[in-house]
Amino acid sequence: MENKPMKLVLSGAPHFVTGNDIQKTMGMVIIALLPALAGGVYFFGPRALLVTAVSIVSAVSAEFLFRKALRRETHVSDLSAVVTGMLLALILPVSAPLWMAAVGSAFGIVVAKELFGGLGGNFANPALVGRAVLLMSWPAFMTRWSPSLHAAAVDATTTATPLGILKLGGTLADVMKSVGASGKSALYLQMFLGNRAGSIGETSALLLLLGAAFLVVTRVIDLRTPVAMIVAVFAASWLFGRDPVFSVLAGGILLGAFFMATDYVTTPVTPIGKWAFGIGAGLMTVLIRQLGNFPEGVTYGILLMNVVVPYLDKIIPRKFGFVKPRKVNA
Amino acid sequence: MSLKTFRGGIHPPENKEPTRDLPIERVPTPKSVVIHLTQAIGAQNQPLIKVGDRVLKGQKIGDVQACPAAAIHASITGIVKKIEPAPQSNLKDGMAVFIEADGTDETAYMLPLDAFVCSREEAIKRVRDAGVVGMGGASFPTDVKLAPPADKPVDIIIANGAECEPYLTIDYRTMMESPADIVEGLAIAAHIVGASKAYIAIESNKADALPVIEEQFAGHSHGILMGTIIAATKYPEGGEKMLIKAATGREVPSHGLPADIGVIVQNVGTLKAIKEAFADGKPLTERGFTVSGGACKTPKNLYAPIGTVLADLVPDVIQISDDVRKVLFGGPMMGVAVPSLQIPIAKGTSGILFFTAAESRQYEERQCIRCGRCADACPAQLMPMLMNAALLSDDLNRADAIGLVDCFECGACSYVCPARIPLTQQFKLGKDLLRNQRAKEARHGK
Repeated sequence: MENKPMKLVLSGAPHFVTGNDIQKTMGMVIIALLPALAGGVYFFGPRALLVTAVSIVSAVSAEFLFRKALRRETHVSDLSAVVTGMLLALILPVSAPLWMAAVGSAFGIVVAKELFGGLGGNFANPALVGRAVLLMSWPAFMTRWSPSLHAAAVDATTTATPLGILKLGGTLADVMKSVGASGKSALYLQMFLGNRAGSIGETSALLLLLGAAFLVVTRVIDLRTPVAMIVAVFAASWLFGRDPVFSVLAGGILLGAFFMATDYVTTPVTPIGKWAFGIGAGLMTVLIRQLGNFPEGVTYGILLMNVVVPYLDKIIPRKFGFVKPRKVNA
Repeated sequence: MSLKTFRGGIHPPENKEPTRDLPIERVPTPKSVVIHLTQAIGAQNQPLIKVGDRVLKGQKIGDVQACPAAAIHASITGIVKKIEPAPQSNLKDGMAVFIEADGTDETAYMLPLDAFVCSREEAIKRVRDAGVVGMGGASFPTDVKLAPPADKPVDIIIANGAECEPYLTIDYRTMMESPADIVEGLAIAAHIVGASKAYIAIESNKADALPVIEEQFAGHSHGILMGTIIAATKYPEGGEKMLIKAATGREVPSHGLPADIGVIVQNVGTLKAIKEAFADGKPLTERGFTVSGGACKTPKNLYAPIGTVLADLVPDVIQISDDVRKVLFGGPMMGVAVPSLQIPIAKGTSGILFFTAAESRQYEERQCIRCGRCADACPAQLMPMLMNAALLSDDLNRADAIGLVDCFECGACSYVCPARIPLTQQFKLGKDLLRNQRAKEARHGK
């Protein structure tokens, strides 16, 4: 032993590292999205699964091929492209053409993520960019909603979402009729369960909260941003005279708050920044719903806040032992 | 019961079981030692002996008229063979005294001194003459810590038995085996700084050491009010600032010292060395350390002369397996990986770890995904990801504004990073760059 030369590794401290890496983190997000996906299949049929599969395959291949073409290391095993593909599918109508899901996914990955340097370099959420582009390019496909298969009053192949009904001048009573609810509490219940028209994964508050709870318990996401966003939506809707509970349950608030506004890369890292991001995204969403042309505003609300993240990250918290320098009187 | 602690921190595997219950073993006196002349933070010592001199164990062989500095002593009796640079555990070659044992064990200790009778100046001089430094790893001269400026009265002294580094159990064993020495040393240190209260603080995983220590309060506290504190088992609970926060609720100001808030912290091993310096007149010439790790076939707690070369302990005292890939001086969180076994035990060596290939795995670094885990883990409550981003864009001033200098390199951020970014290393480098830039600015009269 003594005279045998040893091959020793030299490296800086620490020499210990946690087993938790990017792949595991993304894997947890995928697990957390599974209930919502299952809900999509239950409410809108097996086509939901097909749209999701196409979106994921497109996202992963786009990332792989793009990085190959640029002769960069490929990182598809980190699963972040799977998350993007999954998220995009969950915010598409179940009737979306498959090619459209593929285009949206690939656009989000290539333009919003890879052109900015890949995971960690992007400033906007790739799934939301993908959806925004689809919404602008093929608005007809993006607003063709199928009713829930389990709705009490299914008499049409297409319908409007609860928010769409309001935007077209309808009332809450019309919304109740569309989901077959006889009163306000029945409406809340149907919406909480997810038995309504909407994007594949956005309808069921119950299933989304289930996934979110998993991410909170495993400490993958921080509650500050989603809480701020939901409270802001609730408060602003109430100020505008909209039903606040309905407003939180309708559209993509919960999916956006727990799964998009918590995206590490495109949201603030500072505590105050997180609160501000959530409040801003909530306010923008309600303003778009109330004053804009679109019935729903979560996509643009979050994307707009993505842009100001560098400023929100300047609000750094108090350091250990930091004493404010005393002002010197001149 | 909710345990006292600080905000942030991490829970790495403790891995203390292999050595926790193994009593400290004294190694056979080595045939030769390599004693580095300067082993403390501060000024460089000058040799007081020449090649060919016979030196006695405990004889002062290096010192300098400066502050801070800590004298250095022969740890075995023998002949000075050469004085030349040799590798040391901080990876820099430092001037070292090579002593070859002559087989006798004559000593040249100082006369015992009663710390409670002598003057404060005499007491501080004794600690300095004994070459006592912080033995938790920082190696800061203890006499300087014991002599805070007059305008900063110290009311609390804390004995640090937290030992939050994984694997290491030497402080725990010292508490279990020499509780009277630690309490006596704590009383002496409290007396010197004029502290009215003295605490022994440990992590909850060493709670069984408390009754052992408390038993000694009656006979050795010298009238000083003593108590024990159980802090949460969390890394870096034993960091000076963290332990003070946990024990007293006080926060050491950014860029400040514990004395600024009336507190002083001493490692339990250091307190034992203080006691020996007074009661036995014995300078710091030996120390205990833990030997462990997956590639160590003989995990143990050892007590060896300062300057004992690691290679001389293998394989008689320490056996290592063939798949060893990393040798660390210190713990896994803050220790230094060394290139060979030709490194001597220093005053700051609290442990030596041998890691297998699997334990030495290197990970591919990825881009930061801004998950924020580093900020949650940072005990200094900094934003490591933002500091890293500022350093990557060469913006030293921005990194400084976020708190680069407040980083004390505990390694918690690197430990939790899912993108495997060597954040701690970045900050060490960044601090060096910042220091250089500030020095340059000062030269240009800015």
